[in-house]
Amino acid sequence: MRPKHFIIPSLVAAGFGSHDPAQAAFVRATTSAIDDLPPTGLLRLFKFDHAVTLANHSSHSSHASHSSGYSGGGHYSHTSHRSSTGGYDGYTPEPVYVPVPSPAPSPTSPPPPTRVQPLIPQIDRASPPPTALPSLSGRSARFAAIVRRVQIALLARNLYQGAIDGVVGPHVRGALRQFQKSKGLNVTGTITPQTLDALMVNSD
Amino acid sequence: MIPLSLPAISDAERPFVARLRSLAAIDRGEHDALLIDEDEVGGSYAAADGLFAIDGVPVAQLDGDVVLVQPRSGRVERLLRAGSRHNTLLVTERCDQLCVMCSQPPKKTHVDRFDYFEQACLLAEPESLIGISGGEPTLYKERLLSMVERVLTDRPDVQFHILTNAQHFDDDDIHRLRQPLYRRVSWGIPLYASNASLHDEIVGKRGACLRLFESFAILLASAARVELRTVLLKSNANELPALAQFIFGKLRFIEVWSLMQLENTGFAKGRWRDLRYNHRSSFEPIAQALDLMNLNGVAAQLFNFPRCSVPPPYRQLAVASISDWKRKYAPACATCREQELCTGFFEWHPSNEAEAEVTPI
Repeated sequence: MRPKHFIIPSLVAAGFGSHDPAQAAFVRATTSAIDDLPPTGLLRLFKFDHAVTLANHSSHSSHASHSSGYSGGGHYSHTSHRSSTGGYDGYTPEPVYVPVPSPAPSPTSPPPPTRVQPLIPQIDRASPPPTALPSLSGRSARFAAIVRRVQIALLARNLYQGAIDGVVGPHVRGALRQFQKSKGLNVTGTITPQTLDALMVNSD
Repeated sequence: MIPLSLPAISDAERPFVARLRSLAAIDRGEHDALLIDEDEVGGSYAAADGLFAIDGVPVAQLDGDVVLVQPRSGRVERLLRAGSRHNTLLVTERCDQLCVMCSQPPKKTHVDRFDYFEQACLLAEPESLIGISGGEPTLYKERLLSMVERVLTDRPDVQFHILTNAQHFDDDDIHRLRQPLYRRVSWGIPLYASNASLHDEIVGKRGACLRLFESFAILLASAARVELRTVLLKSNANELPALAQFIFGKLRFIEVWSLMQLENTGFAKGRWRDLRYNHRSSFEPIAQALDLMNLNGVAAQLFNFPRCSVPPPYRQLAVASISDWKRKYAPACATCREQELCTGFFEWHPSNEAEAEVTPI
């Protein structure tokens, strides 16, 4: 049985069936074809993100074969220069992502009274996502997606009552520890392969 | 350049070492991190210590890498890249010498990461040769040697190559270094001139040369495997024949002498004009030194010398020494028949110089 089958009923049971219009709009905006969309802040934002990713990508393909050093017929094989290795990690500056501000929602003033009834009824367009919405890069989005699945699975087991927000906070850690203990797993308070298996959370 | 450090996010509370497994590994060990999700910019992995998501390199290129996950700084460091012959662990950034051309200028603070390195070495690919560098690794000699010994005991297929200024060996080490385990350790030791005052001047420390010679006696008594390293500079270029004479006369026990062209980074970057010896305009002292080594049966090799810049009789000594992750070739190199054998240039070598220097073979 696929893991989904476990998660979805528990989702519904937990009252997650109803959906938020802003989230629906977000999904629509991110999934529709580019042609359908005006260049909204969201789209620009993703484009920008992509450029950053490409910049990180500028790796040369590694030449796997090297002649082993000391071609004079010996057995000496240390060819590497091994000098500057770039220092400790954590000090290297990384490209800082500056979120592109999305256009502020226009104040919804009541439409001026008109005599002519429009042919197409005016539909309230979904407001743009709030500016506070964190911009997710590849790793953050992927990370949060897995954490959300874990949160849902913990919630379904009555171990977690917090928000399904994709953030590993103290409550999630506590719930993970409790779950790991109850299943006789290594108690880490983090998301481990064993925990994923036991929670029947799978990424596929 | 091949990135050695990647942005990452993790739920772990402390740093940990893991080996990335992108494919379903049947024989997975406790330190294997399993790929659970991926997109075109990276992957997410679950390890015994927690979950982490990496960006910047497609997962296929990360398979088998041994990484240090650092949740707080949001980075993953690729300690041992699978398939690379140039893996080097930087065990400290402190140093007790201050060489004029230092490519990795020392820092005052030391972060002890030996435990992580030990775990990483135990997860290394079969038959790995692991480099250890700094700073000066033997400032933490006890930590260093005990790590090396434990790894070599557990992993009979692994070898180490350790760069050291050899200022910290003493007689008490002889017994230890004589152990058969140390046949799988080689030491890369710099000697810049046979003239002690010139050597001291280059390394920025009085008495360094004399202390080095004491260490050579200790290493000789320990039957240690030594690679002698000399960086080519304007100040020592003409002293090379004398140095060669000294080496074959007094230091015959070495395995190989490596003459290294300057790397345009660290201190050498700002002092490039003063330090860089252009071997294209005068190869004569180098040729003399190499001839003396050859005549006396001491192995010699040239590091960081593009092959086309070396006169044909000495070209076979110019090996591909520059580490894969920081090596580049000039556009003109594309047509060269010897590119595969050639060291190329450091990523940070001035591009205009690199282009001007290339004459494809």
